[in-house]
Amino acid sequence: MSIPSAEVAADFRDALQDLKQNSRPEINNLTIIAKENTEHAQAISHELESHIKATRPEFKLPALYVLDSIVKNVGTPYTVYLGRNLYRTFMDAYLVMNESTRKAMEGLLRTWKQPVPESMDPRPVFSPEVTGDIENALNKIRSVQVQSTPAHRPVHALPPRPAAIAAWRNTPTPPQNGARQSASQDPRIRAPYPPVQQFGLYPPSMPAPNPYGQPQSQNEPVSSVDLEDLKTEVAKSISDSQQAFAYNPADANLKQRLDALIALKTMLNTKALTPASLRDIQTQIRNLAPLPGPAPMPTFNPPTSIPPPNMHSQLHSAPPVFPPASAPPINIAQLLANMRPPMPPVTNPAAAPSTPNLADLLRRVSSPAQSSSTPAVASFYPPPFPVPPPISTPVQAPAVPAPAPAGTPTANLAQLLAQFSKPAAAPPAPVTQPVPPFPVSLPQLLSQPPVAGPVPGSAEWLLNALKVLPTNGTPSNTTPMASEPMTRQSSAPTSVLNEVELTTASMKKPRLHLISRLYEAYSNQCASCGRRFENTPQGKEKKARHMDWHFKVKDPQNLKRAIHRSWYISEKEWVEYRETDETSPDEPTNGSSGTATAVKKQAKDRYVPVPQDAAIAQAPCAICQERFETQWLVEANDFVWMDAIQVGGKIYHATCWEEYSKGAGIPMPSTPERGVLGKRKAEVSTPTSGKKPRAY
Amino acid sequence: MISLPGLNLGAQPAEPLNVPALSATRTQDLAANTEYRFEVSFSRTLTLKLLSGTAEFLGTELAPASSYTFQGTKGAVFTWHGCKLEISGEADSEYVAEETQMMGYANAHFALESLREKSAQNCELGPRVLIVGPENAGKTTLARTLTAYAVKTGRQPMVVNLDPRQGMLSVPGSFTAAAFSSIVDVEEGWGSSPISGPSPIPVKMPLVYHYGLKDPEEGKVFKPLVTRMALAVTSRLEEDKASKQAGFIIDSPGGISQGKAGVYENIEHIISEFSVNVLFVLGSERLYSDLSRKYANRPTDEAVHVVRLEKSGGCVDRTEEYMKALRHAQIRAYFFGHGENTLAPHSQAANYDDLTIFKISDSTDNSAFGPDDDNVYAPTTSLYERITPSSSIVNSLLAITSASANDRQDTIRDSSVRGYMYVADIDEGKKRVKLLSPQPGQVPTNALVMGTFPEDVAALVS
Repeated sequence: MSIPSAEVAADFRDALQDLKQNSRPEINNLTIIAKENTEHAQAISHELESHIKATRPEFKLPALYVLDSIVKNVGTPYTVYLGRNLYRTFMDAYLVMNESTRKAMEGLLRTWKQPVPESMDPRPVFSPEVTGDIENALNKIRSVQVQSTPAHRPVHALPPRPAAIAAWRNTPTPPQNGARQSASQDPRIRAPYPPVQQFGLYPPSMPAPNPYGQPQSQNEPVSSVDLEDLKTEVAKSISDSQQAFAYNPADANLKQRLDALIALKTMLNTKALTPASLRDIQTQIRNLAPLPGPAPMPTFNPPTSIPPPNMHSQLHSAPPVFPPASAPPINIAQLLANMRPPMPPVTNPAAAPSTPNLADLLRRVSSPAQSSSTPAVASFYPPPFPVPPPISTPVQAPAVPAPAPAGTPTANLAQLLAQFSKPAAAPPAPVTQPVPPFPVSLPQLLSQPPVAGPVPGSAEWLLNALKVLPTNGTPSNTTPMASEPMTRQSSAPTSVLNEVELTTASMKKPRLHLISRLYEAYSNQCASCGRRFENTPQGKEKKARHMDWHFKVKDPQNLKRAIHRSWYISEKEWVEYRETDETSPDEPTNGSSGTATAVKKQAKDRYVPVPQDAAIAQAPCAICQERFETQWLVEANDFVWMDAIQVGGKIYHATCWEEYSKGAGIPMPSTPERGVLGKRKAEVSTPTSGKKPRAY
Repeated sequence: MISLPGLNLGAQPAEPLNVPALSATRTQDLAANTEYRFEVSFSRTLTLKLLSGTAEFLGTELAPASSYTFQGTKGAVFTWHGCKLEISGEADSEYVAEETQMMGYANAHFALESLREKSAQNCELGPRVLIVGPENAGKTTLARTLTAYAVKTGRQPMVVNLDPRQGMLSVPGSFTAAAFSSIVDVEEGWGSSPISGPSPIPVKMPLVYHYGLKDPEEGKVFKPLVTRMALAVTSRLEEDKASKQAGFIIDSPGGISQGKAGVYENIEHIISEFSVNVLFVLGSERLYSDLSRKYANRPTDEAVHVVRLEKSGGCVDRTEEYMKALRHAQIRAYFFGHGENTLAPHSQAANYDDLTIFKISDSTDNSAFGPDDDNVYAPTTSLYERITPSSSIVNSLLAITSASANDRQDTIRDSSVRGYMYVADIDEGKKRVKLLSPQPGQVPTNALVMGTFPEDVAALVS
C-alpha cells in the first residue's frame, strides 16, 4: 500500500485525458498502468468509467478501446469492477454515438461475448449476464428505430437525446439488473440466483406454450449449446466448491469434488466429447450445482422431493404436451435434467438447417408488441397491421405484452437458450422406462443402448467421482455449522427463544446454536457493507434494492457538489417520521417533496411504452393536440412516452387527463401504467404521498 | 473461572502480540469465539480487513475484503466462527482475548428477541431496555451490540442516548434518539445524521435535545429532558409499527449509577418515564443488588427484569485526555464530516443584536429548589441567563433550538435542537460574531443555548 489509490487514479486520469484518438501506443501505455496497479483496480476502473461518461462523444470510443484492452489483457479484477457498471457505461456512450461508431461498439460487444483470443480461459470476457443485458437493449433500440422511421424521423437519430441521458442519471438501473450484475461478480451469491428468478417468473408470463410446438426449435444444435452451457456450469461449480472449501478446508469430500471438477474442466477444453456424454456430465453437474455455500441453507428442493407420478402420466399419455406449463417451476429444471440421460439422443443431429430460428424466437419474445398470436414468421419488426384488442383497454393492454419484456431484458442469452432447449428436447422423447427419481447412476447410463458413442474412460471416472459425492440436499455434506439451521427450521422459532430467560444466570449459559440466527439465517450477504439478507424472494428483492442504493451512492456526480450537514428535524417531524431505509420498496427520490408536488410528480411520472401500432403512435394527445415525446427509459428498458396515460384505447398526457378528469369528476385510473414493469409493481403499490425526508 | 469483578480485568492478555515493525501489514488468525482488541490513538490509524471467516465489530458484521480504518478508537473485533484478519497501521496496544462476554451479550439479544416476537404477535410495545453501570463499563458497547444484532435480525430498534459525555449521531452534550433500520457504521461511531448528499452508510434520523452539562444533575434540566424525550419516543412508537415491536434501548451516563446511599433518583426517573421493563446492569454488583431489590416486588404488568451482565475484560479506563479528543473528533465530524466524506460548513458573520444567546446558569445545584419533584417542573426564571457575546464565548458551541427568542425558558429547555453553530471569532470593536454553521443560509433568529459542556474546542477553524 505504498501509493494511495487516489494518486494512481489521478495519474491514470491524466493519461486518459490525453487520449483523443485510437492510438495504439497510448492505449498500450494505459493498459500497462492498469496492469501494474491491480491493487488499485477499483479506483482505476472508476476513473475509466467516469472518463467514458464525461468525455466528448468523439473521444469515447478510444476510451472504450482502453477498457477493452484492459479487460482482455489484464482481466480480473478489472472485469469484475468494470463489469458491474458495464451496462450503463456502454449504453450511455452508445446513445450519443453516431452510426459508424456504434458499429465499432457493437463489434467490441461481440468480442466480449467470447473468450479472450489465445487465452486458456474458456469464459467470455464479460459474463453473459452483463453482455446479454446490453444485447437486449441494443435489439430494442434497433427495433424502435425502424419503428420510428415512418414518423419522418431521420433513420438513426434517437429521440430527444438530453432527456434520455437525464433519465440515465436520475433513475436507478432496474433492481433485478443490479442484483444480477452484482451477483455475477460474487460466486457465492450467484449460485441460487438466475435459475430461481428465471423459472419463477416464466410460467405465469407465457400465454401459451404454442411456440414450443414449432418444429424448428427442436432442431437446434443441442450439442454446441450444451458444451458452452456445460463449461459455464462447470466453472460455476468449481467456484462454488472453492468457496465451500475455503470455509471448510477439512472436508475431504469437497476436496475430492474440487479435483474432479477441475479435471473435468480441462477435459472439456481439450477433448471432443459426444453430445450424449456431454449431457450425462451436465446432469451430474446440475445435481451438484447448488452447493451449500458459506452459509448453508437448502436453496431448492433436492431431486427426491419431485413428485414424478404426475409427470409420468402426462408424458405417457401425450408426449408432445409441454409439461412445465403446469408443473411447479423450479423443479422442472432438475426434473428435465434428470430425465435427459435415459432419453434416446433424438435431438442429437447437429445438422441444424434452421438455427437462426432460435435466435428469432428469442427476439420475438423480447420484443413486446408481439403476443403469441403473431405468426411464426420470426421477424422482430412489428406487424404491419395494428393489433387492436390488446391495446384497447387501458390497464390490460400493457399488461399483456409486459411479462415477456419484464423478464427478458436482463435475462442472459445462455439461460434463455437453456430454457428453450429443454422443452424442445423433452417432448419428442417417448419415455419408455420409468424416470428414476434420483440422478441415474453411471452404469445405468452406460448400459442404455441409445447412448451414442463410447464414453471415454476418463470421463467415466470423473462421472463416478462426481456422482458418489453427496449432493446438496443431503446433510452429510454440510459443514458442522450447517446442522444448526436445520434444527432451527424444524422447531418453532419462538420456542427456541423462550428458553432464553431474562435472568442473570441465564445470560451466562453458552448458546452457540443460536448464533446461526444471526448468520446462517441470513445467508445472502452484501459484499460491500456486510449487511445480510434472507435467502428468500423478499430477501433478494431487498438486496437488489440495497445494491441499487450502493450504486447510486457511488455516483461520481454526487461528489462534485458541496455537501453539508442537514439541520435536524423538529420534534413533530421526528414523531411522524418513518424510517425508509435503502431496502424498502419506496423510492426515496419520490419522497423528498411535499404532498402537493408529489401528486403532480406522480402524474408526470406516468408513462406508456411507445405503441407499436403505427396509427396510435402517430396520434397526438386528444386533449391538447400535442405530440408525445419519445424517450428511452432505463427503468422500463424501453422507449416510452413520459407524462402519458392510456385511457380507453387513447393516449393522453397524464397531466392533461388529470385536469380533465378533475373537472369531469372521473377518477384517475388507479393502476398506473407502471404495471408494465411487472417486477416493479411492488414498488408502485405503496403510494408515496406522505412526507418522507430522504433517508440516505 | 474467575468471577470476582475487577480481578479478570488485567488477566486477559493471554497472547500479547509483539507489535511488529510500524505500519507493517500482517495477518492475524482468530479462533472461534475470540476477539482482537486494539487501541488506536487519534494520531495513528489502524486498518483492518477481513480475509476469511466472519467477524464483527461491536455486533456489526465486517464485510468481506473491505478495509476499515480506525482512528482514536478502543475497540474489538469478535468472531463467532473464526476468521483471518489483515491488519495494517499502528496500534497503541493490541492483543487477542480468549475470554469475552459476547455470549452474554448475544443471550441478552436473544432474550429481547423473544420479547419482540411476543409483542409483534400482540401488537404491543416491545422491550424497553435501559443499560446502567459505572463509567467505562461498556454501556455504549452493549447498546451498540444489541442494536446491531436487532438490525441484523430485521428489527428497527429505537436507540436513546442520555449520556452527555459522548454524542450519538450528534455532538457531545446532547441527548438523541433515533430508529436504526440500517446497518450501524463501523468506523464512525453510531453513524451519521443526514447530510445533503449520499453517504456510504445509510444515515440515521435523530431527534436532538441540548443538555449542555457534563454530568446529570438532579434537578433542573436532566429530568425534564428525560420526560420530554420519553414523551416524544413513546408517541412515535405508538404509530411507528416497525419500531414499536422492536422497542428501544437507552444508553445512560455513568454518573447516574453512583447513587446516593442506595437511592438512584435519575435511574428511577428514567425507568418510570420510559416504562422500562428490562434493566441491564453492567459490572457493579452493588448497583445490581440495590436495583434488583428495588424492583423485585412489582406487579407483573409493570415488572422490571433486572439482569446483570459481566463487564467485558476489554473495557479500559478512558483517560480524560482521550475523552476530550473523542469529543473534539465528534464536534469536528459534525461540521466537517468523517473520513472520506468531507462536508462543507459555512462561515457567516452576525451582529451582536442578531443573536439571542442563553447560557445555562452555573449554579446547577438544586439547593434553591429543594429536592421535591414538584418544583422541578415548575417554570423557573434562573434556568438560563441571556448573555451578550464576548470574547469569552469564542470556541464554544451554540445549540440552535427550535424555540423563538421570546419563549419562556422552560420552552427553550424542552425544545429540540435544529443544529449547532461554532463561535469562531468575535470582533468586540465592531460587535460582530464570526460563526461556523453546518449550512449556508441566514443566521437563525431562534434562541441559542450555550452550555458548559462540551468544553471549548480551540481552533476548529484555522
